[in-house]
Amino acid sequence: MNEKPILELKNLRKSFGGNEVLKDISLTVNRGEVVSIIGPSGSGKSTALRCATLLETMEGGSLAYKGSVAASDEDGTMRYSDKQELKKIRRCFGLVFQNFNLFPHYSVLKNITEPVILSGQADKKEAEERGLKLLERLGLKDKADAYPSSLSGGQQQRVSIARALAMQPDILFFDEPTSALDPELTGEVLKVIKGLAAEHMTMVIVTHEMKFAREVSDRIIFMENGVIHSQGTPDELFNSDDERLNTFIGKLEN
Amino acid sequence: MKLSVMLTQLTQGMFVSVEIFLLTLLFSLPLGLLVSFGRMSKNKVVSAIVKFYIAIMRGTPLMLQLIVVYFAPFYIFGVNLKGFRFPAIIIAFSVNYAAYFAEIYRGGIEAIPKGQYEAAQVLGYNKVQTFFRIIFPQVLRIITPSVTNETITLVKDTSLAFVLAQAEMFTIAKQIAAKEASVGPLMVAGLFYFVFNFVVAYVMDRIEKKLNYY
Repeated sequence: MNEKPILELKNLRKSFGGNEVLKDISLTVNRGEVVSIIGPSGSGKSTALRCATLLETMEGGSLAYKGSVAASDEDGTMRYSDKQELKKIRRCFGLVFQNFNLFPHYSVLKNITEPVILSGQADKKEAEERGLKLLERLGLKDKADAYPSSLSGGQQQRVSIARALAMQPDILFFDEPTSALDPELTGEVLKVIKGLAAEHMTMVIVTHEMKFAREVSDRIIFMENGVIHSQGTPDELFNSDDERLNTFIGKLEN
Repeated sequence: MKLSVMLTQLTQGMFVSVEIFLLTLLFSLPLGLLVSFGRMSKNKVVSAIVKFYIAIMRGTPLMLQLIVVYFAPFYIFGVNLKGFRFPAIIIAFSVNYAAYFAEIYRGGIEAIPKGQYEAAQVLGYNKVQTFFRIIFPQVLRIITPSVTNETITLVKDTSLAFVLAQAEMFTIAKQIAAKEASVGPLMVAGLFYFVFNFVVAYVMDRIEKKLNYY
């Protein structure tokens, strides 16, 4: 195994209006790994994910996918790679949003196929085959022609997972994928993610679902106040005697 | 004057009104989109200039704008626009309506959640694809009722072309009314505008229904 890590994020710093929300975050994810990020609201989990997916600009540190540098700071100024390079790098990852962000004016199938076709990965026929296969796998084949607004939240989130998967990313990010869902719908989405984990899809999941994080992750990161407070395997973290960590996990488990 | 003669003359006038109406829409709808981009531009100079333009267009009478477009070139540069009356009318109407449409577009564009842009970006859409495939179709649906309003107003505003003595429907109705000393022709003109707008409202309603597919 001499493959470069899929994601290599080093010393990430980010602030909003003088308020430093990320102080020094480093995260390396290798192929097949499932990493969960937990932590209280405002700890910077989502911001870290947004920096990694190029939705927010970093203020310090470096970011690379499969060895291709997306951004790095040289002498204190951030330098992002050129447009072409960033376009290539965006192909490496997919992102599932908390509130789905499906395109409401497209059918479920078109939501999935259009990005594939526009990226030049496949022609229309191939993209549709790929889309239908994914929908079938996620139990949504009969919804291919439906519009997102007619689906339940859980179904919408599964469609958005299918949309991300159709691009065949090397790594898939989840930004609190079940926070907008009620407990019943949460279950159906978590089941899908568990299925992906079983197939060794590389994933980084920001979540508040402790039980799920414990079951699905190879590694869990606990963030607080913009820094990584602790990390390790689920067993290490859940059996840790760190007081802060225990309070947090205990609160959410009950 | 026989009724048939009057109706023929008014119908000819109506064709001119319809022409003003259609050409104004044709130019002002795309121009309005450009203006709204300028209005939302991150470049402060551009957005300030566009804001000023919109303020003038909305803040002064369209009738005055018609007069300015037609006569200002003569008073300022000594260029006589005689023979260019109709183009001058279309220009004045188009730049005026573009300002209103621009603000309608802006309202629609700003109503689209940020997440739509973010999803498109992550999925590899470039800026042009994001706007025309993801954002604009949703904007259209949001703005149709407001565009309908403006369009109906435009039908009636075409009568302002009488100030430049353009032989559109209202001008002709007024001439006949003066000659015959009767309000009849003006009433008939009123009926024409009403029917015209009835058709416009019907067409816009169909468009709205068509856009409401999701």
